[in-house]
Amino acid sequence: MKTDALIDMLARDAGPAPRALAARRLSPAAAVGLLMSAGIAIAWFGAIPAQMFATAVPWTKMAYAGALAWAAGWWTARLSRPAAPNALPRRVTVLVLVAMAVVGGVSLASAPAGARMDAVLGRSWSTCPWSVLALSLPALAASLWAVRGLAPTRPRVAGFATGLLAGSVGAFGYSLSCPEASPAFVAVWYTMGIAFTGAVGAVLGPRVLRW
Amino acid sequence: MPVDDSPGEFESALKPLWLRAQSGDDAAYRQALGLLASRLRAYLKRRLSGLPDEVEDLVQETLLALHLQRGTYDPTLPVSAWAVAIARHKLVDLWRRRGRRDSLHDAIDDVDEQLLAAEPDDGGARRDLETLFDALPQAQRQAIALTKLEGLSVAEAAARTGASESAIKVQVHRGLKRLAALVRGDSSDDVRQPIRTHGPGISGPVHERSK
Repeated sequence: MKTDALIDMLARDAGPAPRALAARRLSPAAAVGLLMSAGIAIAWFGAIPAQMFATAVPWTKMAYAGALAWAAGWWTARLSRPAAPNALPRRVTVLVLVAMAVVGGVSLASAPAGARMDAVLGRSWSTCPWSVLALSLPALAASLWAVRGLAPTRPRVAGFATGLLAGSVGAFGYSLSCPEASPAFVAVWYTMGIAFTGAVGAVLGPRVLRW
Repeated sequence: MPVDDSPGEFESALKPLWLRAQSGDDAAYRQALGLLASRLRAYLKRRLSGLPDEVEDLVQETLLALHLQRGTYDPTLPVSAWAVAIARHKLVDLWRRRGRRDSLHDAIDDVDEQLLAAEPDDGGARRDLETLFDALPQAQRQAIALTKLEGLSVAEAAARTGASESAIKVQVHRGLKRLAALVRGDSSDDVRQPIRTHGPGISGPVHERSK
């Protein structure tokens, strides 16, 4: 087939281009991932006691995970569109991570010296990152599938950003089951779980995000 | 087809056409793809000087990708930057696929759509898209044949096949997507075949590639 014939074929009856394609693909993927991670967290680990919602503890976790999911989702969407600038969403993503680290650091500095170690380690430091990673996997699969249908030209970075998005979604689900109270714990171990998911995304990106 | 060698003029000729195409003007879309094809041909020809027979195939592969990914175009960006980013992605993909067998010395230049001259179509595609159509699933092949090759409207094609209009549209989109995948898979296979020269001898010593 000659190229001119191909052009005729593509243009014939082509209609308007789809709008807001990245958002339309990524949002349902993140929503499905969130429902699955929350459902699995509650079924598997059990929900935290209702009176905890009267404190700032679960809200801090959800605000962190939600803000990071939004920023990483924005970054992922930009990386899924050829030639779109992505420096701003990347900086906002870093800013959310730094903000949580600052909140954790401040809470630690205001705690009595003897209690700091316990605040950071809690009772579940050794399982928390892995739980976050496990709860992120549905969101990771759905989001990678969504990005694969778009046009990422830097698959490793796009995979990493997709992993951060999925990791934040998984962390959001985990916050419904996590009994830990210290922001320092969240800043270290939640972030580590999200980073693990980002690393998995970066490894899968070049393999999966081909088009 | 106007031949503007100055970059600003090219983009300013292309962009209004492209924006009309995005909102559903098929004639503008055909014209915009024609303009882009000649620029992409020149872009790829310069970067594939050792593989001149790949140029037209890659032009067609890029046009298919532009069509399938038109929803990822951001109207605040130059159309040519978006199109070149996609062409470059396809070029890198081609090199990666061939990399194990060929030694390619060209580095990827910085995106410089500024320097592109237009190139006419010499019809030199090596891989015939029409033969790839035969590998599509029946429903997709039929939907594309009716709407894109025979020129029926979506409504007429729906009446002819008994499928709904939205089903026809979905089959056309999936079929083109599948075709793009076949195009990629196919060109990794033909690495094993000797390269034939085509058309006027712009190519130089082609057979050097098999070192």
